[in-house]
Amino acid sequence: MSKTAAQWHETPKFPSSHYVDSRIYTDQQLFDEERQKIFNKTWYIACHESEIPNAFDYRTFQHPGGTPLIIVRGEDMKVRAFYNICPHRGNTLLYDPSGNAKRITCIFHAWSFDTQGNCTDISREEQGYQKRFCKADAALREVKSELGYGGFVWINVDDNCVPLKTFVGDAMGELDPYIGMPLEVFHYHRAIVDTNFKLWHDTNSEFYHDYMHYFNRVTGMMQPGYFDRKCVGYDNGHVLVGSMEIKYDAYSGSKERGIGWPGLAQGGWILIDLFPGLTYNLRTSVLRMDTMIPLSPNKVMIEYRGLGLKSDSPAERAQRIFDHNTIWGPFGRNLHEDLLGVHGQGRAMRPGTDSRWVLQGREENSTIHDEVGMRHYYAEWSRLMGRKAFDPYGERRVSAAA
Amino acid sequence: MDRTAIQDVIYQTCLLLDEKNFDAFLDLCDDEFRYTITTYSTEIRKDMIWLDHDKKGMRNLFDQLPRHNSDHSPITRHATVYKVEVDEGRREASAVSVLQVYKTDLDGGATTLFAVGKYVDTIKLDSGKPRLVKRVVKLDTRMLGIGYHIPF
Repeated sequence: MSKTAAQWHETPKFPSSHYVDSRIYTDQQLFDEERQKIFNKTWYIACHESEIPNAFDYRTFQHPGGTPLIIVRGEDMKVRAFYNICPHRGNTLLYDPSGNAKRITCIFHAWSFDTQGNCTDISREEQGYQKRFCKADAALREVKSELGYGGFVWINVDDNCVPLKTFVGDAMGELDPYIGMPLEVFHYHRAIVDTNFKLWHDTNSEFYHDYMHYFNRVTGMMQPGYFDRKCVGYDNGHVLVGSMEIKYDAYSGSKERGIGWPGLAQGGWILIDLFPGLTYNLRTSVLRMDTMIPLSPNKVMIEYRGLGLKSDSPAERAQRIFDHNTIWGPFGRNLHEDLLGVHGQGRAMRPGTDSRWVLQGREENSTIHDEVGMRHYYAEWSRLMGRKAFDPYGERRVSAAA
Repeated sequence: MDRTAIQDVIYQTCLLLDEKNFDAFLDLCDDEFRYTITTYSTEIRKDMIWLDHDKKGMRNLFDQLPRHNSDHSPITRHATVYKVEVDEGRREASAVSVLQVYKTDLDGGATTLFAVGKYVDTIKLDSGKPRLVKRVVKLDTRMLGIGYHIPF
């Protein structure tokens, strides 16, 4: 029987940990708070070390908290991160997304900086500032950066943050043995989607949506071991989805992946979601990294990287690229379906649509169709936001039993 | 072989792919056909391959798509042949066409520019009917939103 308006708004018949209020995906105030309380406090991946292999190589990065950053490898080969903002008149320092710059020179008034953030030149300094202001007063704002977990460049704009190792904790334990060797990015593209960033992370956190993926149904869901994959929650909101053996040849025209990944079981697949918006996805022959950059409550930019081994032969690299593109490229079978799905959620959850709840009520012994990963995420979200995901505005009384 | 016949093959491929008449598209392709989508990333400063199939791979891709969930908004390929060079000795022609791809929403019919790039085609001329033996789609556009299942 269909529902009336009153029934539609009734609290779901689940414990309060098993659903969220849809407005956490659409509200501007909550979004602004997320930037301050979550993204401006967290470690996040800005790029991979292989994108800046040489001294003075740089990459720009749109930090999810809102600040534009520069990631640069210094003459001493150390990687550092700075605001991409000139301390003089607030102009963008580096416009191109990548390059090599021995000096970071603002095009506006030619103030110049080295790769350690020191101001090395102020045009007509003495004439304009006499002794009132000098280069020492004009350094760049540096933010914390570390290399780790597969050679990624991690940054944190909070000077008082915990070390990266503390933030990650034990969450990467399952993947660590497979990403210790030098890796290399071979694929990068972005998608901007009219949806909330958490909805993409939700999708990466549960595999119940494999019903959307014909490829995953025939190569995974219909194969032994699929329903044994366990979701494991870790401190700070991170979640591991354990491995299984994918039968690639079950998809017509596809075949078992020949090159695999050193140490990983044939057809293996390990996925780790790191709070609040990163996903490591090692699937047989390719490591994929998703980085979400929230742009507004209903708009997210997702960066997709594909990585292989730096030691790959041309033939091995070509095979990894082929494997990647089959499901994960912009024309890949699965990525388009995932993006179509969250795009549809964004359409249905715009303010005013009367979308009310998102259910996370599946319990299947923490296996692959259990929605425990999402519940784990929103427990951390609620802790950091100081709001309950099921009642973000404190509008309802919930019984102790709930 | 005159230039018009070569242009006609290229324009036919656009029309047939727009119509999702994949069998007829593949009929215009040689048995050695290879289709590749490439682009250059200014972020990672690398050439990238986004799709690469032989004729069998393309047929398989087309055959499998109905089993997948896809954006059903139709796309329209608009190619203009800029350059044709014929190698009489090899009985082949190479052609460069600029390409614009438009997408039209099913709901409301609004059309937006989806992608721009170039077709770089190699066409066999050793029979009465020109056949596409190689197509490289060199995309300038790298932001394709939620993506698309049907090759350009």
